[in-house]
Amino acid sequence: MGRKKKKASKPWCWYCNREFDDEKILVQHQKAKHFKCHICHKKLYTGPGLSIHCMQVHKETVDKVPNSLPNRSNIEIEIFGMDGIPAEDLRDHERQKNGGKSDSEDDEPAAKKKVEYPMSVPPPMMMPPNMMPPHMLGQYGMGMMQHMPPLPPYPMPMMPHMMPPRPIFPAMATTSAAAAAAAVHQHQQHAAAMAHQKPTFPAYSNATISAPPTTNNAGVGGSGAASNAAPLAAPDPHQQGRLPNAANASGNAAGGGGVVAAVSTKIMHPAEDASLEELRARQPKYQARLAIALATIAAGPKTNSPSNNGGGNSGGGGGGGSAASSMPSTPPPPSLSGISPTGSAAAAANAIAVSTAISKAQEVSSYHSYRNHSQYK
Amino acid sequence: MFGAAQSTTNRMNDFEVASPPDDSVSALEFSPSTLQVQKNFLIAGAWDNSVRCWEVEQNGQTVPKSMKTMGGPVLDVCWSDDGTKVFMASCDKQVKLWDLAADQVMQVAAHDGPVKTCHMVKGPNYTCLMTGSWDKTLKFWDTRSPNPMMAINLPERCYCADVDYPMAVVGTAGRGLIIYSLENSPTEYKRQESPLKYQHRTISIFKDKKKTPTGYALGSIEGRVAIQYVNPVNPKDNFTFKCHRSTGTSGFQDIYAVNDIAFHPAHGTLVTVGSDGTFSFWDKDARTKLKSSEAMDQSITKCGFNANGQIFAYAVGYDWSKGHEYFNPAKKPQIFLRSCYDELKPRVN
Repeated sequence: MGRKKKKASKPWCWYCNREFDDEKILVQHQKAKHFKCHICHKKLYTGPGLSIHCMQVHKETVDKVPNSLPNRSNIEIEIFGMDGIPAEDLRDHERQKNGGKSDSEDDEPAAKKKVEYPMSVPPPMMMPPNMMPPHMLGQYGMGMMQHMPPLPPYPMPMMPHMMPPRPIFPAMATTSAAAAAAAVHQHQQHAAAMAHQKPTFPAYSNATISAPPTTNNAGVGGSGAASNAAPLAAPDPHQQGRLPNAANASGNAAGGGGVVAAVSTKIMHPAEDASLEELRARQPKYQARLAIALATIAAGPKTNSPSNNGGGNSGGGGGGGSAASSMPSTPPPPSLSGISPTGSAAAAANAIAVSTAISKAQEVSSYHSYRNHSQYK
Repeated sequence: MFGAAQSTTNRMNDFEVASPPDDSVSALEFSPSTLQVQKNFLIAGAWDNSVRCWEVEQNGQTVPKSMKTMGGPVLDVCWSDDGTKVFMASCDKQVKLWDLAADQVMQVAAHDGPVKTCHMVKGPNYTCLMTGSWDKTLKFWDTRSPNPMMAINLPERCYCADVDYPMAVVGTAGRGLIIYSLENSPTEYKRQESPLKYQHRTISIFKDKKKTPTGYALGSIEGRVAIQYVNPVNPKDNFTFKCHRSTGTSGFQDIYAVNDIAFHPAHGTLVTVGSDGTFSFWDKDARTKLKSSEAMDQSITKCGFNANGQIFAYAVGYDWSKGHEYFNPAKKPQIFLRSCYDELKPRVN
C-alpha cells in the first residue's frame, strides 16, 4: 500500500497564526513584529530574550509578546521561527490546515512510522514529494522540512544559513532506512537544541573550514549530499562563479531524482580568475588614459621623481598618446579648485587640455591592451 | 553629530562628502591620529586617476582641499605615519608621494605591473613603504632611493594586504595567504592555507586587548569573511561567517563580494562592505551582527574609520562585479560619512 504523502505546509508564526513562504521571512517577521523592544526598537530573537532585554536594559517588565493573539502571548515560551512551537499547537495547526480532518497519522509516533519504510516498495526518501509541482519545490523546500518530522531525515539545516559544514549528525546523512528511525529522533532533538541556542552570527560556521562554499544547496539523501560536497571540496579557482549552480545540478542528478535543493545560489562576481580591478583595468576606457600617461612618462618624467626608476615603466607606452603632453586628468570640480588652499588652478587648466587629448586618444582604434587579455564581457 | 542629508541615494541619511571623484572610489583613508591638531582629513583614490583630499569638520561638513592625478586609475592610498604625506599607488605601475604641506608629488616606488596596495611600515628601527603589485612582487622602499630595500616574490598577483607593525599580511590570487614579520626587517613568517574557497578580495589586521596585532579578517568574493588568529590559542578561535547575500526567499540567493573590511580603532568591532551595496557592523568576539544598512543603489567599494572611531566613511560606486555592461556612467560615485561610535560598541553580555 502506498503511504499517503503528507502535504507540505508553510511555516507559520505561532504568535499571530500568519503563514509565510519561507522560514527566513518568518524569522524576520517575528523579530520585527513580536520580538522588537518597544523602547529602543532593538530586535531580539525570542520572547524570553525580549523580556530579559527590557528588564536589564530598560528596567521594564514585558509580560506579553507584542502583537500576538490573546492565547499566544506567552513571553516565557522560547520560539524562534518554527522551532520551539508546542507540539500540540503544531498538530492543531496542521489539523486546521487539513480542513479540520483529524489525521490519525499525526498521532502516531514518528519513529514507529519510520520503521515501516523498508517494507514499502520504494524508499520514499528518494522520491520527490509528488504532490507538488517540481518548480515549487525550491520555494517551499526549506519550510517544508522544518515541521514535518515524519519526512525522511534530510541533511537539512534548521535555517539555511546555519547549515553545518558537514552534517552534524552523521546518521542524518545516511540513506539507510534502518538508520532513519533513529535519525528522526535526533532530528527532532536537534531541532529542539537549535531552538534553545542563542543565534550568533547569522552565518556563523565554526572553525571547520572544510565547508562547501555554498552550503545552502542541501541535497537529499546521503548520496545527494555527498555528491554535492564532492565537487565543492576542491574548487578549481579557474572555475569560480557559477560553480554552486553546477554543483547543485550534479547533486540533484546523482541523487537519483532526489528532492531539489532548497536554495540555489549565484555568486555575483565574474567567473574569471581575476580580480574586479584587473578586469576593470583592461577596459579600453582606462587603458587609453593609461597609455597616454605611460607614453608621457617614457618620454621624460614630469615629476621630480628619483632619477633612475625607468625600469618599471618600460612595459608601457605603446598607446595612442600623441597629443598628450601632460598627465591625463579629469577636470576637478569647480569647488575643489576654488576652495583649495594649496591651489590646483594650474592643474585645472592642464586638465582641460588633457581631457581633449584623451578624447582624441580614445578615437584611436588600436588601444594599448594590457597583458593581451581579451576584454571581459 | 551629523545633520540629516538630502539625496535619494543616501539610503542611510548620512552626510555626503562634497565634490566626490568622477569614477568609483578605489581607496579611502582617514588621516592618522598623530596630527598635532584634532583635524580629520579624508583621502580618496579613484578610477578617474584622482586622489582627493578633504577636511572633515566636526559638524560633518567636508571641505575639499586639494587633488592630484596619477597616470592611471588609483588602486590604493595610505598616509605617512605623521599625517603630512600621502602615498598613492596606481595602475601606471608607480607609487607617488604627495607632500600635502608643500603640495608636491614625487615618485617613490615602481613595479612591473599595476601597484595594488601600498602601506606604511613604521617600526622602532626603520620606516618604509610596502607595495604589492600584480607583477607578483612585494617591495619595501625607504622612499629616498629609487631601488627597493627589499623585494619579495609572491606566489601570485597581490590582491590585498594590510600592515600593522610588526605584522603584515598579503592575500594573493590563487587564494595565497602569507604573513610577514616586520621586526628588524621584513621576513616571511608563515604561509597559510586559505580558510576560504574563493578569491581573496580584502584583508584587515585586528589587534588584541593589549593593542598588539594578533590576527586578520579576510574577505572573499563569495560573501564570506574569515576571522583568523595568527597563533590561535584554541583552533575554534578561527571561524568564518557569511555576509552580503540576498535573503534567498524565492529559492535563489545572490552572493556578493566583500569589498572591504575595517576594524574600529577603539572598539575592535568591524565593518564589512559589499557589492550588494550594504555595510554591516559585526562583533567578532560575540560573533554577532551589530547592524546592517539599507542597500545603496550601487555597490559599496571602500570604507574606513577616522582615527578616533567617531566617523565611518563609505564610498558608493560601481565595482565592476557585473561586468562592464552594467557600468552606468550616469550614476555618480558618492562618499558618505556616518557617526558610528555608538553603533559599533561591542555587544555586552
